[in-house]
Amino acid sequence: MTNPNPVQSQLSPRVAEALKQTRHKKKYSRFFAYLVIALFVFVSIFPFIWVAATSFKPSNEIYNPSTAFKLITDQATSQHYREVWAKGLPKAIGNSFIVSTITTAYVIVVSTFSSYLVSRYRFKGKRFLMGIILGVSMFPQMIIVGPIYNMFYKLGILNSFWVSLAYASITLPTAVWIMVAHFNSIPLALEEAARIDGARPMQILWRIVFPLAAPGVFTTAIMTFIASWNEYLLTFTLNTDVNYHTVPVHISSLQTQFSILWGQITAATVIVIIPTLIIVLLFQKQIISGITQGAVKE
Amino acid sequence: MKSRMKKSQLLYLAPLLIILLIFSFYPIATSFAYSMFDYRTNNQQYNALRMSSELNGNLLAENADYIAYFLNDDYDYVDEEGQAIFDQVIAQAEDIAEKYKDLKVVSEEQKQELEAFFENSWADISAVYQRLPDNDLIRGEDLRDLYRSMPTVFIESNYVGLDHYKRLLKDSRFHGDLGNTLLFTAISVSLELVLGMGLALIMNMAMRGIGLIRTAALVPWAIPTAVSALMWQYLYDGRSGIVAHFFASIGLISSSEAMLSTASGAMAAAIIADVWKTTPYMALLLLAGLQVIDRGLYESAAVDGAGKIRTFFSITLPLMKSSILVALLFRTLDAFRVYDLIAVLTGGGPGGSTETLSIYSYKVMIEQSNYGYGSAIVVAMFVCVALIATLFIKILGTELLAEE
Repeated sequence: MTNPNPVQSQLSPRVAEALKQTRHKKKYSRFFAYLVIALFVFVSIFPFIWVAATSFKPSNEIYNPSTAFKLITDQATSQHYREVWAKGLPKAIGNSFIVSTITTAYVIVVSTFSSYLVSRYRFKGKRFLMGIILGVSMFPQMIIVGPIYNMFYKLGILNSFWVSLAYASITLPTAVWIMVAHFNSIPLALEEAARIDGARPMQILWRIVFPLAAPGVFTTAIMTFIASWNEYLLTFTLNTDVNYHTVPVHISSLQTQFSILWGQITAATVIVIIPTLIIVLLFQKQIISGITQGAVKE
Repeated sequence: MKSRMKKSQLLYLAPLLIILLIFSFYPIATSFAYSMFDYRTNNQQYNALRMSSELNGNLLAENADYIAYFLNDDYDYVDEEGQAIFDQVIAQAEDIAEKYKDLKVVSEEQKQELEAFFENSWADISAVYQRLPDNDLIRGEDLRDLYRSMPTVFIESNYVGLDHYKRLLKDSRFHGDLGNTLLFTAISVSLELVLGMGLALIMNMAMRGIGLIRTAALVPWAIPTAVSALMWQYLYDGRSGIVAHFFASIGLISSSEAMLSTASGAMAAAIIADVWKTTPYMALLLLAGLQVIDRGLYESAAVDGAGKIRTFFSITLPLMKSSILVALLFRTLDAFRVYDLIAVLTGGGPGGSTETLSIYSYKVMIEQSNYGYGSAIVVAMFVCVALIATLFIKILGTELLAEE
């Protein structure tokens, strides 16, 4: 953004004056911008703050209109956390980790190989292939649920971690698009040099391309992990057994027909947001490049 | 310089193709197939896809045994002529049972043969019983009942062709849900575009604290939709929800209970929750588009005396056309298939006012086990998605898939 502009030093006085004026105007727009940003940040994080505050309130305060809207409680309690912990939340978090890790592992392997091929070789139907993959990421997920349910039923693998394989249709397309974009940004020259030196394609991929593609692989891994961590519909329908519930399904089962225990729900929310929060704080850059690389052609 | 692919390198592509084949293409094709059958998993007569009528061979064999058993009971009490007929029918029944034991699909001819046997043998047997009313025959009525139930050995084809689609055209719930889905999609995506654009412009100003802004933007996007839906359900709650309380106190809604218990309130609630979660995502997509615009263009525009607004409409927007369209395409299709958010937040209620097509198809297919009609709804959604995507790609040109 701040690349040095060689033209600027040779500007005529009239042009320099015009630039100065815009800079002056910028001061006001900057103030306005900060105001908007502050509002945005407030709206974005307020729900989290409120939910976190509620999770420490005793139930009678949550349901009493005269105390429900007070941010900080006088009688902070960890009761909701203990209750929700005892209701199988650790199990759900563990399941989410297992399912997301399996999904991430195979998606990385599969998408790396195929994206390398797409990026480096000419072949018939390449555009068609990429179009089809993009198409897969766009269709309504509901269309695969019925047939996959029957398939899993016949194979006897309902209520198992095999559900990870069904996550392919929501994670693989994005992964392939991100990886292709990454491979495209790695110069061909290195591989050609290696090829001239007599390296085999597999060696080139492992020794030269892979290390260079590591950041892309990492971005893909994070995006895949988040997508599978958040998946709801497939686990909800294929794994009805509570022992295989993932976090989103488990937490939505806390709302029952007759009573909604806000204390427990908010406590559970706080707990399950922590992993996401850590991932976001640590890997912001990768996530942002993942979001934009999957969608924006440079 | 890219080299041509060798056959052996197809191996690199194989896992991707195999996985997509099994978990995407096959299920999609199967859903199309389901939609043409009256396929209900909770009903024996409909629990499989049957192109032609089938024969329940076990039932046929069982019925043949009963015929023999009943006739043997009365065998000693009929005259010789009757015994000859009984022998003949028992032998025929055994032959038929043996012949059709393993056969599932029956041709029209075979069906006629079976029906002819049922008719003729019953005519022969009943003639014997009518001729000898004074003998102490006890199985006449049993045999009559057995023959009456004989047609159940045939399971009719449940192929319905395009009937489900015809039914969709007349299904007012489907129309209402399509309307809800389009309303939800149109409003939330437009709000997200406008707010996301504003946010992207501000984030592009490269100022201090951008890290905090990015974190604040990413967290709502990164948390599971089901979790954010629950959070909002709490914030909208009629008794304890602070957002509902706030909206009621500034007069936006009549009372805080109205947020989730009225049709318009619930739709607004779903839209706000969606906008909250995905505006940052939209902003990041647009920001990427903004950042590739050459800064020099803005400076020249400033030199030429163009104002902010003019610059935005004459430079920024045209140059961002493709980023905006890509972001819109992604978000539109995403909003169109919305499931988690509404399933958890309102469940489609109150009174179906927030029921989207995904929710409707889920209820029909999974909750009512009616895979046939449920699949027709899903396929209709698929067609809508294809139409929307085609429309966008037409506008975008083929840029999206262009090589290099």
